[in-house]
Formats: sequence, structure tokens, C-alpha cells
Amino acid sequence: MATSFLSRKADSGLGNIRASPADPSRNIDWVLMSVQFVLTAMGFFVVFSASRTRISDDPYAFATRQVVFAIIAVVVMFIVMAFDYEWWKDRAAFLYGVTLVLLTLLFLLGVAAGEDKISFDLGPFNFQPAELAKFTTLLMLAAYLSEERSEEVTYARFLGGLMIVGAPAVLVIIQPDLGSASVLVSMAMGVLLVAGAKARYIALITFLSIATVMAAFVGRLVNSYQAARIRALINPDAASGDDLYQAENAMRAIGTGGIWGKGWLEGPLTNGRDIPVMWADFPFAAIGEQFGLVGASVVLGLIAIALVRIWRIAHLARDLLGLYLCAGVFSMLLWQTFQNVAMTLQIMPVTGLPLPFISYGGSGLIVYFAMFGLVQSVHMRRMR
Amino acid sequence: MAADKRTARLGVLALVATLLFGLVGARLWFLQTVEQEALQEKVNTTKLRTVPLLPERGRIFDADGRIVADNERVLTVAVDWQVIRRSDDRAEIFRRLSGWVDVPVEEMEARFDSQVYSPFLPMPIAEDIDERTATALKERVEDLPGVTIIEESRRVYPYAPLASHVVGYMGRITAETKDVYQDAGYYLNERVGQFGIELSMEEELHGNWGSVTYEVDNASRIVREVSLTPPINGNDVQLTIDLDQQQYAEQALETQLRRRSLEYSTNPLDPETKFQTLVFPDYPRQVPFKAPAGAVVVQNHDNGHVIALASYPTFDNRWFESDLSGGKFEEIFPSVDEFGEPIDPDESILVNRAIQGRYNLGSTFKPFTAYAALNTGLLSVNDYYVDQGNYRMTSVPDDQCDAGLVRCVYKNATCSGTGRSCVYGAVDVETALAVSSDAFFYRVGELLMTENDYQPVLQEQVRLFGFGADTGIDLPFEFDGTVPDAELKAEYAELGVISEAEGAGYYTGDNVQLAIGQGLLSASPLQLAVGYSTIANHGFVMKPEIIKAIYEPGVPDALEPGFADISQARLAVEPNIDGEVVRQISMPQAIHTEISEGLRRVIQGPGTTSDFYHSTTGEKLFYFYPRSAIPVAGKTGTAQGAGNYPWNDSSAFAAYSRDPARPYTVTAYLEKSGYGSQGAGPVVKCMFLQLSGIAPTDPVVLSDPLDAESEVAAGPKRLADTSCYDGRFSNVRTTE
Repeated sequence: MATSFLSRKADSGLGNIRASPADPSRNIDWVLMSVQFVLTAMGFFVVFSASRTRISDDPYAFATRQVVFAIIAVVVMFIVMAFDYEWWKDRAAFLYGVTLVLLTLLFLLGVAAGEDKISFDLGPFNFQPAELAKFTTLLMLAAYLSEERSEEVTYARFLGGLMIVGAPAVLVIIQPDLGSASVLVSMAMGVLLVAGAKARYIALITFLSIATVMAAFVGRLVNSYQAARIRALINPDAASGDDLYQAENAMRAIGTGGIWGKGWLEGPLTNGRDIPVMWADFPFAAIGEQFGLVGASVVLGLIAIALVRIWRIAHLARDLLGLYLCAGVFSMLLWQTFQNVAMTLQIMPVTGLPLPFISYGGSGLIVYFAMFGLVQSVHMRRMR
Repeated sequence: MAADKRTARLGVLALVATLLFGLVGARLWFLQTVEQEALQEKVNTTKLRTVPLLPERGRIFDADGRIVADNERVLTVAVDWQVIRRSDDRAEIFRRLSGWVDVPVEEMEARFDSQVYSPFLPMPIAEDIDERTATALKERVEDLPGVTIIEESRRVYPYAPLASHVVGYMGRITAETKDVYQDAGYYLNERVGQFGIELSMEEELHGNWGSVTYEVDNASRIVREVSLTPPINGNDVQLTIDLDQQQYAEQALETQLRRRSLEYSTNPLDPETKFQTLVFPDYPRQVPFKAPAGAVVVQNHDNGHVIALASYPTFDNRWFESDLSGGKFEEIFPSVDEFGEPIDPDESILVNRAIQGRYNLGSTFKPFTAYAALNTGLLSVNDYYVDQGNYRMTSVPDDQCDAGLVRCVYKNATCSGTGRSCVYGAVDVETALAVSSDAFFYRVGELLMTENDYQPVLQEQVRLFGFGADTGIDLPFEFDGTVPDAELKAEYAELGVISEAEGAGYYTGDNVQLAIGQGLLSASPLQLAVGYSTIANHGFVMKPEIIKAIYEPGVPDALEPGFADISQARLAVEPNIDGEVVRQISMPQAIHTEISEGLRRVIQGPGTTSDFYHSTTGEKLFYFYPRSAIPVAGKTGTAQGAGNYPWNDSSAFAAYSRDPARPYTVTAYLEKSGYGSQGAGPVVKCMFLQLSGIAPTDPVVLSDPLDAESEVAAGPKRLADTSCYDGRFSNVRTTE
């Protein structure tokens, strides 16, 4: 019974006979969940410190909304956990289809309005289908690859997987949102690698990704600011303008934090207006300036623990589906964390990728909670 | 899957993760320990400096694309507020600069103290310096810290003084308007529209400021550009005014005023004393007309476009861009006369009389009274009234009249042939308009009141034509006009314009006066034109439109100097080519025919015969008006001036084309210039001859540079050929 752990009766003192050691509700990975909650809670404070001076009427506006998002995210996670991941696998095709429709719709709406469009405006909440795509594409790819009970991925199946990832990735690229597309690609690489794709297949994905990015440049699918950001990284001296300035300030904020940081709400660059959209794009700079190397290490360490736990669950997974799901979540979390932190440290170009659990943003938070829910689901049901 | 393979593959993932985390960790450690101090130093020393970028003001074109307002680049020396904050630094810099820019130190100090300059822009020291001085100053940047050369633009008016009242002028933001402009994002140093189109279209013309933000180091050297918001230049505005017609209108007006000022009004002999004494014994037999001022309006009555709008006395709007000293300004635009008294309002220059003139309309108002009577059914086209030279009100009891409590008897104007009031005999509406029978309209004025339960029916009817309300033309300071009624009289009594007793109510006598356009009725020449246009176009009250089109910035110059290439222009706002109908009023064909026939006969005759033949009021003036010219219908008007002295009479004339292909309405108003047919009539006639392409017209040329030594606001503008004025018999007949 999938939802049994929700309806679990109070312990009578004689032991609950329905709660065998293999009962899913007794096999939640509490370490992973704790890490996730601690990171999210830290996110509230980071978002508050990075946004409070930039909003004239209500300094708590962003932080408060983030708390609301987190509550929704927790509910979503428990719903995902409540179901066996096999149950989710059966609905993978449907969810994947919905995602493609939403992405197409968004593109058409954007074209109609003559602008770039990356989110649906749902009143109090902007819904980004690209975030949903991370969850559904993973589900679809894992489901598709686990059909074949083999240690190796055949070339045909590899191509099929490529198309499953390619369709949403291309739609995301033309939004244009290169960052989210790169997350999808990293997920595909992780899953395919674990599924046993040959090294040359992985090389092919890498090549395709690079070619796509080039094509996006040539076809002017990339925003001028994205192009400028990449150019800024390649050749800082030739670049000018906002983009370099904001990245440079983000790096300065981190650097001036030193070992111990300047203290909570004490960072001049965090409090100033030099780093635009800091609460979503550069929360790591706010951490670095206020809490120094120590604070930054704690955040990275927590994410590392989460990665380790997911990696462990991948090991323990009772079937290929569970393994692939964990590998996908692992790859996405790793890549997205790396990309966000590295752009703050100026070793990667600036993209709008949020830092998981920390950055302000409802869609991203909810989807990560949902994906962690899937991982938990794999862990909870590993002994059946 | 074999566990070892899974482990191996997951191991690759773990390896990648370790590598990436290692990379990030190393970089983090490097930045936060090794680089920390260097970065802190950078943060401490970098500052942002934002420099505003001036938008270029939109240009103004006439209907043919002539550039009537343009911009010229000027170099200004300015100094940063930072470096002159301390008084000894300031004194030093001012002393060094003084020799270069030829501005005394005291004047710079005065500027510093004046509070009129924006604290966000460098303080201007000297405007319009030459290129060589600018270069020399730039080379001495070490000696002159904080001194910058700013490229600014100055307004130039290539065809000035043509249409100066319409185009207007610019000036500093004043203390009164400071808040408004600051809220709109202006800097205090800016010059803004003060009059005319420059003021009314300020929002379109101004554009938006841009800015560039630099990161600067300790020594204020620019490290890099952080952000750039380009300025958005102002839109270009094209007027409906055509300088060909505008120039002719201004010349015709000024020439006629000069002619009238050389002519004399006759102090009449008093019929009461058997013509043995003068009516105004304190004055000589002949008194010269003052003819100080006037206005002309030319409008297209199909779409309301204003083609010419002339006002005299006029001025050259370049004076306002020439950095006049206070004394020189007072000399050119005097506010007091030689005795220190406030200047006679007749001579005020900075008033656009075509829209600001508060003029009594005299008999030019009669067509509207006629409309009121016909439209309310008081009169029908066949109704006659026997004009016996005067009118005695019938609604007032004889005893009140005889006791002198109420003025009951109103006289027609004097016929020069007899020296007494003209007697026209039996007249209908058409003939009453043609010969301008006062008695007929006196009666209409009384009956419109007494037959309508003393309701303000005449007022309601004439308000339909736009009287008593501004026309909404896109020019500032328009006069609303007044239609006398009980409220207006009460208001005037309160203001002390009329006595308490007179202001107590609106009487039948007031309506009798109003019927012939006298009394407290007032309107601008533009309102009069709108009224006549409404008759001309069968009942459409058109908004007088002076903006033909608004274009996106950057309309290029044409090959011909002084012209813009309108064919290359992109519209910023879709223009309303057909014009804006303010309201449509009922104008049945029978009513239109009656009024327009009367107005046609004013021009073409015939008049009427009673004691002898009375020609119509314009018949002789237009006697030699060529058949090939635009056929017109019109009306004279003479507004009684102060003291009822004939030489204070102001002259009005309004006429419209009867040719649908050339739909023009022209009004002229000449202050203190005598009868309508003598003062304003010839101007309107000349204007129609010009519009017909018959009167010789001077070509419109780019003007010579402004003569800074001149002592007058504008040089003379005269018609080269005055034959159009020729009316041969125009001064024989003197009644209106």
C-alpha cells in the first residue's frame, strides 16, 4: 500500500505489526531529508539578507514568499514519496507529454508577445516549465532506459534516450534558457553513464551539446546578455557593461568575506545594489560575504552530504529504475550547484541557474523537493 | 546488473563530483584568503559615476517641411560641483578660468550662488565658447581640475521672426514651474518651452535623458563603463501652419496697420445741434487711428487645420536664445513706458492676439444671432422688419423708458451720407445681414429674450458655435471668451469691472446689445474663425488643429536648405487627417441658405433701397475682387472702443470661401482701426487673393542672422505689393 506510512497508527506499545523493517515508512533517509531542510532554512536567511535592501516597501517580501514556496515544496515531496517510484514510472509518458506541451505553449506565447518568455504568469507565482522538465524528463528517461534489462545501452536505445532529452532541451534553449538546458544535458549524461553507455556515446552527447550552443549563438537564439556574459568570461578586458560588473562584484563580495565573513546583514556589497537579482542568481556571494569561507564551506558541505546520500541510495536501489533516478538527481544537483557557485567565483559564465535549495524561486525549490522525494521513494522501497 | 559494474560507473560520477567540488573549493579558498585584501582594496576604491546624457530636442516643421525650429551644437564650459565646494578652491579655479572664457569672476560667483543650476550636472561657467578655447581648456586639464567641456544644443529658428507667436520660445525653468519639471525628471539647468508650440508640445519635443555609469578609481579615472542608457531624442512636430500663407498674413496685417495709423477718423458733427458742433468737442475734427495691434487667422474649414495665425506686434523668437542681459531685454520687450508707467496693453508683444485677444466682435457676431433666431423658430426666412434707423424696446413700459430708468432706444450706426442713423426700411434676415441692420438685430435680441420666458436662449445657441469656451487648439494661454449672462455679470460686478447695480441681473437691454456683438461679449479671432467655419461647413464645429503630424526623432534634412525630408519621416502618432469634430450642430439647408446668402451679399451686393440705395458693408471693398479668385462670403464688424470715440473703434472682418475645393475661413481683427470694411476687411481680402494665387507673394526665405544691435523685437514686415488693398470706394460708405 503506497500511502501506508501516512496512515500509520500510533504505536500501541506492543509494536506495530504492520511496520516490518521493510515497510517504506520506516526507511526514510533522515540524513538526506535533514540536510535538505537545513539548506532550505538557510536559504530563507540568505534570500532575506540579499533582497531586503532592494525592495522599498517590504523587506520581508521575498523571504516570506520563499517560506510559502518551501511549505508547498514539502507537501509536494511527501506526495511524491508516498507513491512507489514504479507508480511514477507508469505516468512518466503522460507527465513528459504535458511538459512538452507547456514548453511549446510558452514558446508560442512568447513569439506572439514578441518577447523572450521563460515562465507562465500565474498571478502570485511565476511557473517555469523548464523546472518541471527537469523532473519529468528524468522520469521519462529513467523509465525508458530501465525497460531494457541489460548492463549495456544499445545504440538504438541510446538514440531514443537522446531524443527524450533532446526535445525538451531544444525547447528550453529557444526560450532562451541555456542554463536549464545544461541541467537537462548533465542529467542525461549521468543517467546514460550509469546505464552503461559507451564512452563514445557520452562523447557524442558532449559534442551535440556544444554544437547546439554554437547553433544557438549563430541563430541568435541566445539573448544578447547571455552572449555578452560568455564573452565577458572569455575575454574580461574587452567586455564592458553590467554583466561583467555584476559578476565581478559577486566575486568581490565573496573574496572580501574572508575566513569568517563580515557577519549577518553586515555585507556592504550584499546590502548595496551592485549585484542585480542577487537573491536568485548570486546567493552564494551573499553567503561568502557574510559568513566567509566557513559559511560557504558549510553550505557546500551540506550539498556534498546530500550528494553522498543520493549516491549511496543509487547503490542500494533494488532495480535499474531506482538507480537511474538517483543518478539523474545526483547529476543535476551536482551540475547545478557547480554552475551557480562557479559563476559566482568567475570560473564559469553567468547563467541564470539558481543554487538548489538556497536561491529564491518557487518552481526550482518545488522541483528539487519533488526529485528528492523520488530519491526517498527509491530508498524507502529498496528492500521490497 | 553486476554490482561491480554499477559501482564502477557510480564511481565515475563520484569522481566527477569530487573534481568539481575540489575546483570550487580551491577557488573559494584562494579568493577568501589569498585574494581577500586585494579585493577589499578594490571595493574600497571603486566608485560609480553617472553622467546624464542629453536628449536632442525634437524639431518643428511647417506644413511644407520647412524647419522652423532646429538645434545647433554649442560648447559649454562647466565645472564639477565637487571641486568648487570650498571657497578658496573655487576662487582659484574661477580666477584661472576667467581669462580663458572672458567671464568675470564675480559673474561666476553669482552663478554659483544663484541656485538655478542642477546639483546633478556640472555648473555651467560660459556657454557657446568657440572650438579653439575648448581645445585649449582641454589641454590644460591639469591646471583646471573638474573643468569639462559639455556639448549642448541650442535652439535656432531659421525662419524667425515668422510665426514666432506660434512656434514660441524657450527659457530657463522658473521658480514657479520648478516642481513640475523636477517631478517630470528634468534637470534644473534645462531650458524648456515657455510659449507657443515649444511650450504646448514640450512633452513631445523634449525626449528622455539617458545616462552612462562609469566605474572610477580613487583618482576619478574611468575604469570601465558599467551601464549605458542611451537618451531618447524628442519627437519632431509638424505644424499645419504654412509659412507661405503665414508670411503673407503677417505682412498684410502689419502693412494694413501701418496704413491705418496714417489715416484719420472723423470727429462727427452733432445732428442734435444741426451739425453746428462736434460730437466730441474735446477732440479735433480729424483724429488719427492708433492701429497698434491685430491678428489674422486662416483656417481650413473642412478639417479645422490652422494655416496661418498672425499676431501684431510680433517679435523675433531668437532673442530668447541670444543670452540677453536684463537691460537689453527690457529695451526690446518693455514692461514700462518712458514715464515708468506699465506699458499700454495695446503694445504688449508677447501675446498671441489670435488666440489670446479678448475682443468685442461687433457685427461679425450677427450671423450667430440670426442662426439663434432661425434655429429656435423665432424668425422664418420670410419675416420682415421695417428698420427705421433706431429701435425702441417694446417689452419695457413707456413710463420706465420715459423716466430714464431703462435705456429703451438703440440707434443704428451713422450714415455718412446723412450724418444720421441709417434707415434701411423693410429687411429680412438675409438683407439685415447684408447691410448690417442694427435695428433688425436689436429686435431679435429683445424677442429672443421675451418670447422665451427670459431664458438665455441666445447664449445657448451661440455657445454651440464655440463662443464662451476655449477652442482646444494646442497652444498655451488660450482665452476662453465670454458670452454675457447673469453669472458673468455677477462675476464682473464682484471683480469691479461693472457696477453693482448693473451686475444685479441680466436684462433685456443686455440681450439687445449682445445681438449685435456688443456689451460683455468677447472672443478671440480664432473663436470667430471657428464660428464662421461652422457656418461654412454646414454645422460642424471643428477643433482648430495646429499639429499636422508628430514624427519619430531623426527626420533627415532635405537637399533644399531649410527643409526637412518629410518623405523619410516615420509617424510617431497616427494623425487625424480629417480633423476633430467637436460637435455637429443643427443647420437645416433653409437656415444655411439664408445666412450664407446674406454673407455672400455682404461681399457681392446688392444692398437695399429705402431713402436711397444702401450698399452692403463689403460691396465696395470687393468691387474689384476678381472673378477668378476664391468666391467668398463674409461679414464686417466694428467694435465700439473706450469712450465710444470713432477712432477707438476696432475693426473685424470674417469671411469664408464658397468654393468647396478651397475651403478657407479667414478672420482679421485690427485694434483701434475704425470700421470693419476699412481696417480688417482689406486684410481678409488680400489674404483670399493670396490663397487664390492672385496676389503677388514674397518667397519665404531663410532669415539673416539676428541683429544683436537692434532695438526692436522684430524688423518690419511689409507687403511688397499693396494693390490688393485697393477698394476704390471703400471709405465712402461708413455704416456697418
